[in-house]
Amino acid sequence: MRVKVQMPSGEMITGFLLTIILLSPVVAQDLCKESKDGFKVRISLKTALGNDAYEWNESEKFLFRSTLAYAMRKKTGEDTYNIENILVCNDTKRVSFIFVVTLPADPTQLIPKEEVERAVRQSKHRINNAFLLSDMTLEFVGVPPTLAVPIQYNTPPWLIVFGVVIGIVAVGIVALLMSTVSKRRRAKAKDAGFDQDGDDEGIVKENGTALSGLNKKDGVYNQAFSNDERFTKL
Amino acid sequence: MSKDVRPSWDNPMQFVLACVSYAVGLGNVWRFPYLCQMHGGGGFLIPYLLMLLLEGIPLFCMELAIGQKMRLGSIGAWSSISPYLSGLGVASVITSLYLCLYYNVINAWSFWYLFHSFQSVLLWAECPVNSNRTGFVEECAVASPTQFFFYRETLNISSSMEETGGGLHMGQALCLVLAWVIVYLFIVRGVKSTGVVVYFTATFPYVVLIIYLIRGVTLHGAWNGVKYMFTPKLEQLANPQTWINAATQIFFSLGLGFGSLIAFSSYNHHHNDFEKQAIAVSLINSGTSIFASVVTFAIYGFKATFNYESCLERNRLLLLNTFDLSEETISVENVTAWISQLNSTHPDTFSTITDKIQDCSLEAELDTAVEGTGLAFIVYSEAIKNMPVPQLWSVLYFLMLLLLGMGSMLGNVTAIITPLADIKVLSRTLSNETINGLVCLLCLLLGLGFTSPSGNYWFTIFNEYAATLSLLFIVFIEVISVCYVYGLKRFEKDIEDMLGHRPHWYLKLMWALVSPLLLLCLFIFYIINYIQGGAPTYQAWDKHMGKSVVKEYPIYGQVFIALLLVSSLSCVPIAALYAFCRRKTRSAVREEHSNTNTAE
Repeated sequence: MRVKVQMPSGEMITGFLLTIILLSPVVAQDLCKESKDGFKVRISLKTALGNDAYEWNESEKFLFRSTLAYAMRKKTGEDTYNIENILVCNDTKRVSFIFVVTLPADPTQLIPKEEVERAVRQSKHRINNAFLLSDMTLEFVGVPPTLAVPIQYNTPPWLIVFGVVIGIVAVGIVALLMSTVSKRRRAKAKDAGFDQDGDDEGIVKENGTALSGLNKKDGVYNQAFSNDERFTKL
Repeated sequence: MSKDVRPSWDNPMQFVLACVSYAVGLGNVWRFPYLCQMHGGGGFLIPYLLMLLLEGIPLFCMELAIGQKMRLGSIGAWSSISPYLSGLGVASVITSLYLCLYYNVINAWSFWYLFHSFQSVLLWAECPVNSNRTGFVEECAVASPTQFFFYRETLNISSSMEETGGGLHMGQALCLVLAWVIVYLFIVRGVKSTGVVVYFTATFPYVVLIIYLIRGVTLHGAWNGVKYMFTPKLEQLANPQTWINAATQIFFSLGLGFGSLIAFSSYNHHHNDFEKQAIAVSLINSGTSIFASVVTFAIYGFKATFNYESCLERNRLLLLNTFDLSEETISVENVTAWISQLNSTHPDTFSTITDKIQDCSLEAELDTAVEGTGLAFIVYSEAIKNMPVPQLWSVLYFLMLLLLGMGSMLGNVTAIITPLADIKVLSRTLSNETINGLVCLLCLLLGLGFTSPSGNYWFTIFNEYAATLSLLFIVFIEVISVCYVYGLKRFEKDIEDMLGHRPHWYLKLMWALVSPLLLLCLFIFYIINYIQGGAPTYQAWDKHMGKSVVKEYPIYGQVFIALLLVSSLSCVPIAALYAFCRRKTRSAVREEHSNTNTAE
């Protein structure tokens, strides 16, 4: 017995497709809202940019979805991710929303949270820059920020400054000590010179001692003949 | 041969600048503003200036007179006054030695911070990132970046004094070496080199202070701090602690009792007018304290306002995030209004964040009074990192701290090397430069101990006990011996010989009566405080909690404190006893001689 199988008519097919198309955003919204694989995103435009803040509208949301698709592509290496795979819902005036990522092959299946997190962390810097924001102002709630690696120096700069300063000081000390030593040598040479000359040079002798005070420019301080002003001014 | 002639200052201005450089030190910047804040703001000036008149100027004048008359360092000067008093000079030298040991460590820290200011991002502005780059290093996140930089990167502090070992902090050790090398450079030729250096060390800090004053009062919120400081709370004058703190601050700020003033004035000409100079230096010192506290309070005000506004901002963000409101709805000004409004309209949602909402209060921020190294290296760094072009301000500030510290070090080291140079035996065998070098080397080697992880706790011991009680005792004995052992009349005649007129009756009254009484009261108060305070405690840094906790000193720490005090206090009676015994044996020998002579 032949079973009569009724082929779907063109009308039925169009109807069916229409339902799917109309239903899919609803389905998509359900996927987004009810899912535990979604991430909440918070954007603080005014805090980051002040007067230069742009308005958060559909175009910006479009950019967000495309950057996330880019992040997924970069992480997985598959070029199949598209903007339709990023679903956004729960928009608030704060400018915060929830997003989920669907599998490119099967739009009803979601990518698990951990994978999305890894993708976001890998490309966070690029995502931030696309929006002129930073880790503080573009928050993915639950994703720890990837902080920039601090600058590594070969020689810490403080050592360089230290080396310069201690070099200058060492030169100063050596110069001072050399000048003291040379002064003393000159003084000793003059002393020796006086002793060697003897009586012939007409050295004034006072009570039998050579006037060795001639080689000290300061002389001996004799308080009785002090020429200091009685009251030294301040 | 040239050692027979005592070197002298090139002109009296060098002497005045040396005294200013010595007296104006770190205490003017980090102790006086704290006292001002604790004891009623502008009202504190009343006991402060009163104590300046009662003890500051007279005692300063007296020390200068002694040095100028005796023309010897502290040991020689006091031995000349009375052979039983040589111990007083020795006590001064020992106290100066203790001070030199730990004071230069502060200069080493200033060098460390100064060198680290030459970076595009100041290291104490941000926390370092932890190993997997997910957040900040835990200790830094719990405390603040400035505290982390000071306690971990600069000091590498251990969590208690008992944890010895851990080697030396190489960076600190290098900076300490540099500090001592520079001190040696400044004093290598005695007053000849010191006299040139003080032109710079005495004047440049004022340049920086003026620049900071202008920068400070133009900062946002600075006026809050200055207003807070100068509103006098006159009820604090009834608190005896206020008067005691004023007296001790004047006393320690002028640097009396270390022997530095005696050493400096021993290089003066005989007829130098030290009276006017003493008044000038004391007034400059107090004026600088007041000036520095205006700057400090401007900075405080800026920092407090910054913290207060950050607190409000955090609350605002919390409200925005919890209630998903648009950013324009809540601004920093109406945060508090919104808090109460949201609490009434949405109490259940609000209850989730009640513990996270912080109480922001400008008063509370201004009330946090800090003194000492905490103020200089933590609070100021925090304020500086929030200024525009922080590197410039950081360099200026730490350069100023360095000059203040180095200027005081000049006086401290001169107090040690002058009596040493007076000892004939030493000065004949070694040249002056060698003696000075050996003193610096010894202090450097001993001071390296402060660069170990537990070193900062030993530093605190020295800071609190090495030069407090002993100085009060020394100066008390000084005044008593000048007035009653040497004789006030004799002292008057000496001054008349030097100055051409007798000292003012006011000075004589202070020397004979008021200052000794005041010093005795302070000394007794300190002793009572020590006894009543129980076991001495210190602040240890807990790296897990990110703040300081109070701990008791271990037994060997307390023994060391006692040793510090006893070693300087006991010099006076021991030397007096020694002189007494020598006199007895000498007179006994003389009697024997005369007996044998008469017998012949």
